[in-house]
Amino acid sequence: MAKTPDPERLELLQGTLDMLILRTLQWGAQHGHGIGQAISSQSDDLLKVETGSLYPALHRLEKRGWLKSEWGISEANHKAKYYQLTAAGKAQLARERDRWSQLVDVIGKIMNPAAE
Amino acid sequence: MGSDQRDRKRSSVPSAPSVAELDDEIRGHLALEIQQRIDRGESPQQARANALKQFGYVPQMRDEMRRVWYGRWYDMAEALVQDMRVGLRSLMRAKGLAATVVITLALGIGANAAIFSVVRGVLMRPLVNRGEERLLYIRQSAPGIGVRSTTFSVPEIKDFRERATSIQAFGEFSTVEFTLVGLGEPRVVQAGVVDGHYFDVLGLRPTIGRLVEPSDEGFKAAGVAVLTNRFWTTSLNSDPSVIGKTIQLGSRSATVIGVLEPSVPYPADTEIIANMVTSPHHAGAQMITQRVHRMTQLFGRLADGKTIEDARAELSAIHSGIKTGNPESYPERSDMRIDVAALRDQIAAPARPVLLVLLAAAAVVFVIACSNVANLILARSVRREGELAVRAALGASRGALRRTLLAESLVLCGAGAVLGVLLARPMVAIVASFAARFSVRALEVTVDSSLLWVGVSLAMAAAVLLAYVPRLPSASSADAPSGLRRTRRSLGVGGPAGNGLAAGSIRITPATNRRLKIFATTQVAFSFVLLAGAATLLATLIALRSVNTGYDMAQVLAIDLPMKNLGMVTDEDLAFFQHVTERVDQLPGVEGVSMGAVTPWRDAGKLGRIPFGADGFTPANGEDNPRAFIRFVAPDFFHVMGVPLLAGRDFTPDDRRGNEGVVIVSQSLAQRIYPNGEALNHQVWWIDPFFGPKPFPRRIVGIVADADDEHIARGSVMTVYHPLYQMGLGGRMFVRASVDPYSLVKPITQIVQGLSVNQPVERAATLEDVRAEVLAPDRLNAFVFSGFAGVALLIAVVGVSGVLAFGVSARTREFGVRLAIGSTPYLLLMKVLEEGAVIVSVGIIAGTAFGYLFAGIASSYFQQLTMPGLAPLLGAAAVLIGAAIAASLMPAARASRVDILQALRSE
Repeated sequence: MAKTPDPERLELLQGTLDMLILRTLQWGAQHGHGIGQAISSQSDDLLKVETGSLYPALHRLEKRGWLKSEWGISEANHKAKYYQLTAAGKAQLARERDRWSQLVDVIGKIMNPAAE
Repeated sequence: MGSDQRDRKRSSVPSAPSVAELDDEIRGHLALEIQQRIDRGESPQQARANALKQFGYVPQMRDEMRRVWYGRWYDMAEALVQDMRVGLRSLMRAKGLAATVVITLALGIGANAAIFSVVRGVLMRPLVNRGEERLLYIRQSAPGIGVRSTTFSVPEIKDFRERATSIQAFGEFSTVEFTLVGLGEPRVVQAGVVDGHYFDVLGLRPTIGRLVEPSDEGFKAAGVAVLTNRFWTTSLNSDPSVIGKTIQLGSRSATVIGVLEPSVPYPADTEIIANMVTSPHHAGAQMITQRVHRMTQLFGRLADGKTIEDARAELSAIHSGIKTGNPESYPERSDMRIDVAALRDQIAAPARPVLLVLLAAAAVVFVIACSNVANLILARSVRREGELAVRAALGASRGALRRTLLAESLVLCGAGAVLGVLLARPMVAIVASFAARFSVRALEVTVDSSLLWVGVSLAMAAAVLLAYVPRLPSASSADAPSGLRRTRRSLGVGGPAGNGLAAGSIRITPATNRRLKIFATTQVAFSFVLLAGAATLLATLIALRSVNTGYDMAQVLAIDLPMKNLGMVTDEDLAFFQHVTERVDQLPGVEGVSMGAVTPWRDAGKLGRIPFGADGFTPANGEDNPRAFIRFVAPDFFHVMGVPLLAGRDFTPDDRRGNEGVVIVSQSLAQRIYPNGEALNHQVWWIDPFFGPKPFPRRIVGIVADADDEHIARGSVMTVYHPLYQMGLGGRMFVRASVDPYSLVKPITQIVQGLSVNQPVERAATLEDVRAEVLAPDRLNAFVFSGFAGVALLIAVVGVSGVLAFGVSARTREFGVRLAIGSTPYLLLMKVLEEGAVIVSVGIIAGTAFGYLFAGIASSYFQQLTMPGLAPLLGAAAVLIGAAIAASLMPAARASRVDILQALRSE
């Protein structure tokens, strides 16, 4: 928990964490720690997911039926909870991806009108 | 990624994870993080510390994960639990208050739960009988002469059977007494005699064997008997080998064919139910042909598609037809009617008013308990106003403050409910045995879950109510009379009026004071209603106990010597009586022995009032013949019982069959018929087909004082005594003793059974004890109500005393000032006592008004409701005032002992 925000680091946009989690799980089951790591490493460490947001988000997604969980043994040789996309989760991911590109387009249009 | 796929278990349905699972997940995360950090070169300790640091506060994390699953409700529940924990702790500091509240509530909740269980069991639960909703009880009554149930005669039942279409089938039941020989000791049993359809109509099944069937009907059938389940299980230890046994029922024999399933015994609690052939009386010409020879209870099962109203209308129409066809059997004055009721309602009917009154009494106790608790809580919350005001000032919402109060009252009421339900369990048994005197169904009442949910819902209601009693301090209003301003002062925060009032002195606002007094007055008012009720019952009981009965109560022993035959005594019986009388008379300590047919009070209603005629007397125009009780007594009866002979002579052994017919009459009868005092040697005769078609006049040879053996409350009674050796019924022996009457029971039994081996000797008791036994329900009534009233009084006393004590402690300063400017302690004492007296007086007035209002409403539902007399009311008021003054004394004494310096320093 960094006490002062790292200027290099980007803050996650409100509401995008769920989408990133779903996206990360697209290729298979993963535990919470792995998901957090995957998001940071894929963002070249520019995005840092706080555990305080990550785990409630995982439980929220599981409760809505987009994820399911199983217990397994992690690479640290310890019990860990693995999350996995459900069919509903896949559909949701597709929806969120569409919404996201729409949003990026629209915001891009506003921010860079010249580029059009 | 997952290294060991085999260990994975599927959990497809998302369900809230347990705390252990959440912890596991968090540990899993930390393990990975630590591993990663060690791989990166950190030392294990360092890795662990950093991982934890990075992770954040674990319990908070866990709560956040949990919250995802539970949402808002979880938050609220958690906050409430937290508040309850705080409440519990703060109550632990006020143990006395908490204990008072819990006990008060427990009494209120327990009484209600117990009585509700019984009410539910007796009034609302369905019977075990198959298709019980179609089961009817048919009653013939004669309101004109005050007879609630005349029962039916054989010709009447035949008419109904032939004409009714709304009733699928009728069942007949008549109650008889048999001397039962063959199952244990010979003794007299209550038995039922039924037709072949009775059990089918009632929808009852056998536990073992079979029941009486249509093939057992007719007077040529073999005698068969069914045992009731209660008799079989309690007296015979559920012995199945009893089936097939031959028993002797009076003069007939019968084979035991089965045991009835457990069911409500109605109309009579019998031990045996037999077919009609076992009762010679039922085969007699009188029984079969006489329309007025009524002794059968009638049951019916509704035909398909018919309602109880259809049956009522149809049977009433048939009854009118029968009445017009046989006017001689249905005198106009009797005003005979038919009524049809569901069997369940019929069984519950006698208990209904009693139970409803009890339920009302319990509800009143609950109201008293709640208002007392409200008082205590209110007083406490005044002391807490400071705390609440601070919380409000710090930004707690009104909801949050209310929740704090709710949590505390939930803790209190929860504890009260637990204790109340525990109390209710034994109370159910007591109330049920009480109610059993009015309805046999109460015997099967058991403790069930209704006890629990009644208790819990009452507690919840009380908790919510109590949480809304105290007023919340408002943080915003600057001129609020209570709360913050005062607290600011007491905290020394200052403010415009902040002159540093020391903490510990509470000021009570007029509004709070008024509320406290209103609650205390409510308690007094309701307690008064209960006390007055109890006092009325007690007054009635005392009046009944102390009434002069006309008998020597303590020295007369009454013993049942049941006869084998139900009818008139035979010569053989008379010879037996004679022998018994002679032998018993020789026992030391015996002053006299006589025989009769009726034990006072216990046998009330056995021999009814019969119309009679007398020579030289004609009823006034339009009046019916007068009626008198018929009694059969042996010589010396009046001496043995202590009834004075006023004129003429007693019966002698010469008053026997074949000699002149003679009678002795009671004083009331002699005066009514022969007002000039010349009754002796006139003649009287019965006017009833039972005594033959022609009147048989008998000469009056004696006049005795009135002795009412029918009514507990003595009235003037017209009685005609026949010499037992001339005509009549026997079966009761009376012994006048100069020693302890009960010491004679054993030698008398030996004498009787020495003369006749199988002769039962039963129910020996002095007249005093017989009366006590008959008065038992009244005593129980008075006892139960006094119990309620006592509880109510106790609560009210605690309430009044509490309010005054609180007032005194809040006004210490005022008293100090008063003393300082010259008031005497005595004046202060009187002032507090006066306040108590005002509360009680207003309460009593309100209670009287409420009581009469309530009684007015109740009397429209229940007949026989009598308004209490003045004496019990005054008595109740005196008790209440006395108790209240006693309750005020302590706080008053405290007020008079206020230390001036102490009081003024607190200013």
